[in-house]
Amino acid sequence: MTEQADLDLRPKLIGARIKRTEDPRLLTGLGNFVDDRQVAGVLHVAFRRSDHAHARIGPIDTAAAQAAPGVTAVFTAADFEKTVKPLRATSRMKGYYATPIRPLAHDKVRYVGEPIAGIIAESRYFAEDAAERIAIAFEPLPHVADPAEAAQRGASLLHEEAGTNVLVAREFKRGDVDAALAAAPVRVKARFRMRRRTPLALEPRACVAEYDRSRDALTFYSTTQVPGIIRDSIAEALDLPGHRIRVIAPDVGGAFGGKASLYPEEIFVCAAAHQLRRPVKWTSDRMEDFAATGQAFDEIIEAELGFDRDGRALALAADVVGDVGAYSIYPWTAALEPVQVVSFLPGPYRIEHYRGRVQAVATAKAPTGPYRGVGRPTATFVTERLMDMAAAHLGLDPKEIRLRNFVRAEDFPYRIGSGIQWDRSGFAECLTAACDRIDYAGLRQRQVQVRTAGKYFGIGIASYAELTGIGSRISVAPGMPINTGTETATVTVDSTGAVTAAFGIASHGQGLETTLAQVIAEHLGARLEDVRIVHGDSAAVAGGSGTYASRSMVLAGGAATLAATAVREKLVNAAAHLLETAPGDLVARDGRVTVAGTDRWVTFREVARAVYAEMGRLPHEARGELAASKTYDPVFGTTTSATHIAAVEIDPATLEIKIERFVVAEDCGRIVNPLIVDGQVHGGVAQGIGAALYEEIVYDVEGQLHTGSLVDYLVPSACEIPPLEVVHIESESPTTLGGFRGMGEGGTIGAPAAVANAVADALAPLGIEINELPVTPERLFRLLSAARK
Amino acid sequence: MKPVAFDYVLAESIDTTVAALAAAGGEAKILAGGQSLVPMLNFRLLRPAILVDINRIPDLAFIDERADHIAIGALTRHYRLETSPIIAEHFPVVAEAMRHVAHLAIRNRGTIGGSLSHADPAAELPMLALLLDATLHVVSPTGPRAIAAWDFFLGPLTVDLAADEMLTRVTIPKLPPVTGWSFVEVARRTGDFALAAVAVTLTLRDGLIGEARIAMTGIDETPKRADEAEALLAGRKLTADLIDAAIAAVRANVNPPTDLHASSDYRRHLIGVLTGRALADAWRRAGGEKP
Repeated sequence: MTEQADLDLRPKLIGARIKRTEDPRLLTGLGNFVDDRQVAGVLHVAFRRSDHAHARIGPIDTAAAQAAPGVTAVFTAADFEKTVKPLRATSRMKGYYATPIRPLAHDKVRYVGEPIAGIIAESRYFAEDAAERIAIAFEPLPHVADPAEAAQRGASLLHEEAGTNVLVAREFKRGDVDAALAAAPVRVKARFRMRRRTPLALEPRACVAEYDRSRDALTFYSTTQVPGIIRDSIAEALDLPGHRIRVIAPDVGGAFGGKASLYPEEIFVCAAAHQLRRPVKWTSDRMEDFAATGQAFDEIIEAELGFDRDGRALALAADVVGDVGAYSIYPWTAALEPVQVVSFLPGPYRIEHYRGRVQAVATAKAPTGPYRGVGRPTATFVTERLMDMAAAHLGLDPKEIRLRNFVRAEDFPYRIGSGIQWDRSGFAECLTAACDRIDYAGLRQRQVQVRTAGKYFGIGIASYAELTGIGSRISVAPGMPINTGTETATVTVDSTGAVTAAFGIASHGQGLETTLAQVIAEHLGARLEDVRIVHGDSAAVAGGSGTYASRSMVLAGGAATLAATAVREKLVNAAAHLLETAPGDLVARDGRVTVAGTDRWVTFREVARAVYAEMGRLPHEARGELAASKTYDPVFGTTTSATHIAAVEIDPATLEIKIERFVVAEDCGRIVNPLIVDGQVHGGVAQGIGAALYEEIVYDVEGQLHTGSLVDYLVPSACEIPPLEVVHIESESPTTLGGFRGMGEGGTIGAPAAVANAVADALAPLGIEINELPVTPERLFRLLSAARK
Repeated sequence: MKPVAFDYVLAESIDTTVAALAAAGGEAKILAGGQSLVPMLNFRLLRPAILVDINRIPDLAFIDERADHIAIGALTRHYRLETSPIIAEHFPVVAEAMRHVAHLAIRNRGTIGGSLSHADPAAELPMLALLLDATLHVVSPTGPRAIAAWDFFLGPLTVDLAADEMLTRVTIPKLPPVTGWSFVEVARRTGDFALAAVAVTLTLRDGLIGEARIAMTGIDETPKRADEAEALLAGRKLTADLIDAAIAAVRANVNPPTDLHASSDYRRHLIGVLTGRALADAWRRAGGEKP
């Protein structure tokens, strides 16, 4: 066997089940999180936050706070009037109002927890003591808590300049929905509610701005997913050039979308450090996290789905009211979550006629923003519930009705009614594989048996498709102030032969230091351990946004492929001179360049030394820097799909819900690291189970927050999560470099619907539908009490 | 979430503790396991001037068997109660219940005295004290005092303890032979406070229920004994009808709160379900005939 053939048979790095290389650091306490940063002379921030949901801010008396022990400065909005430019999440959407984002509330407060004053002190203790001494004369304004009421004409306005609380309204349609529904022999219809939740990262938000007096520059460490976006927006707010603001996201302890937006606290910390010419730090506590980190979901959906007598879907109509909270979050806009609900409602199905209308309504609650799954958990919940309701009407099995309606292999690429196009993906394959794994037929038989014994046992299927790795032709909100469609990789082999690959993404739990190193090592021919991944640093590449929206493997992985391939060519060309052979005879693998079929090689280190240091060994044209910077744009992105199946048993007396089995079959294209894909699915499903059964942010009619701690806001722990079974359907994407599809969010998308369907299936003999999540024992108790009456 | 500044006293003995409490004139709090106190300090719900740390006081953590009772020191950690062979032998209902008290990390720090003095209306230990007719022993600068459990719990987070008094130990009379027991709880998640919980002991005499005790938590401002249901059961064989009667009696005599996690009606429903299950369990464990 020749060495070349031998090399080709060796396991490739892409696809290898490699343990995460960042984990030894994180698990042994050697990680570096923002709050770990020790900065000489650092000052600490506490915010005085609003305890009113909607009020005009009268005079603020800060004298006692200024005089309190340990206090350096107290800022209110007036102090930033001339120094900080308000930012707006702009968009070309018709009738859209972009609310201003400021470091502190200006003139009025619009949610409980909105920062009004910032106290800078020697310690957080001093700062909190002083915060209590600030006296604010509030003039309470009418409540704006209910989104339906807030959308009415004559409602009290949160943003008077907008003239309405409806920040944006959109409609997507295809065909003649009303006529098609009227003609449909079978129609199912319901009002659905997905309750507000919070991302709840283990590490709350934190940031520290370090001020460099010598060049009037800031190095800003922040727990952000989007260092590039933060750099650009702070530069705009403070009117500084980008090279005087460097944004670094060091180790970040989870985010789930909650750290993907620009926050008032980030602007505040930068502006205060710049004005005081001192380092300033703020670490959110859990109460602040509940009150002021971008929340999620909170939609009311009226939807109707019409079928023919064979169970083929004909038309879908939906009206969505999104309760988006007080501001249009930067840069995503208030359209982000509710518009994606109507964008994805048709799901993986052929539905000819579609109309989705959506209103994003401002209310006096914390702003909502991106959250793992954005819109799709809600869309999938609605569509998958309707599918099950229709199956029951038609006497079809839930599996069968889905198989009848999926976009078929011959239909791809298929455009759904909202305009999104699905490329070839394993819709039916995922459903079939999930059913096989869970023994669907066997479970149905068991269900018949246990039902006769008086038990509530249910099986719930949820199938979905989503768009991931989106490129420059698709934007969240048309005309948004940022580009989310490209990422850049800069790969450098230095004079020691070591490989550094720099990216604009910011891994915060996804294991991208491992997976991107796998891609780089594979295409460069390096050893995995020789590749260092630099990310989470706005200075790493000229432009880049960060890690969100299931994009990093597709976009950064694509850029890594291009850049690593370009550098390999340079290495091979230089090596060809050293080995006195043609580049075509050479193979780069395991950190060396080998003459194929021989035992002659040079190591990367030797090549690098020859290129950079040993003048004269190589001709001038072979001495080019061993580096390349490449940008990748997947243009439209790609489709990811999955089916989740949950089996639940409900205690008929206490109504406790226990998930017995949970199977996911997913198609995320070519898998870079199955271990990491499994972990991402596990985490996502756990969060989806949270949305289905536990997590709910509760505001009362006055806009007061009732879930301000982890006693009141219930997040599932390991005890509540069943063993998760994952089946991979690896169909390479036809539209992305490497065939990758994004997969970071899917777990959260399918699980709420699967659990809801399983609970509804368990209670089907009682005629109970599950149209509101989370479905708690209390909600079940009320549903059962009503059904028995 | 930083506490207001306070002074800290490391107490060496029970006497120095109560002296410090008295000197502070109501402005001091005892720091034991800190599992409830420290969050309340951080939320600034409590603003004591002084914390008196009793963690270093010798001989305050013990589980001792005496002729007719078991004595438990106030500084005994939950975990010790959960794993003690003495408790397992004499009060298996306690060992079972302790597994429902929060999570292991909290049970390693939290103390018996702390939980009883804090008196959360959904906590397990106060209900166990009621179930087992425990006596709580407290000390003040003027001397010791013994309080029956049913006199100790006055309201939510309110107990019969003066500002200069400290709970030092709990004594629990041993149960008669042929006593079956049960502890059942519904909480939203593993380790959460109970939405409702019921603990039962049934002591059989000649195949009949000699004494029934039913204690409940999560269903009122304090834990409660189900006096009416207990009276119904005494002297009878457990039957399905009797269980139903006990459930009805329990539901009629509780006043459950409504909060974010459960309504009063659902809690009332639960307490009945759990009472039924616990009675059947305890009866089976006592060796009673199948109902």
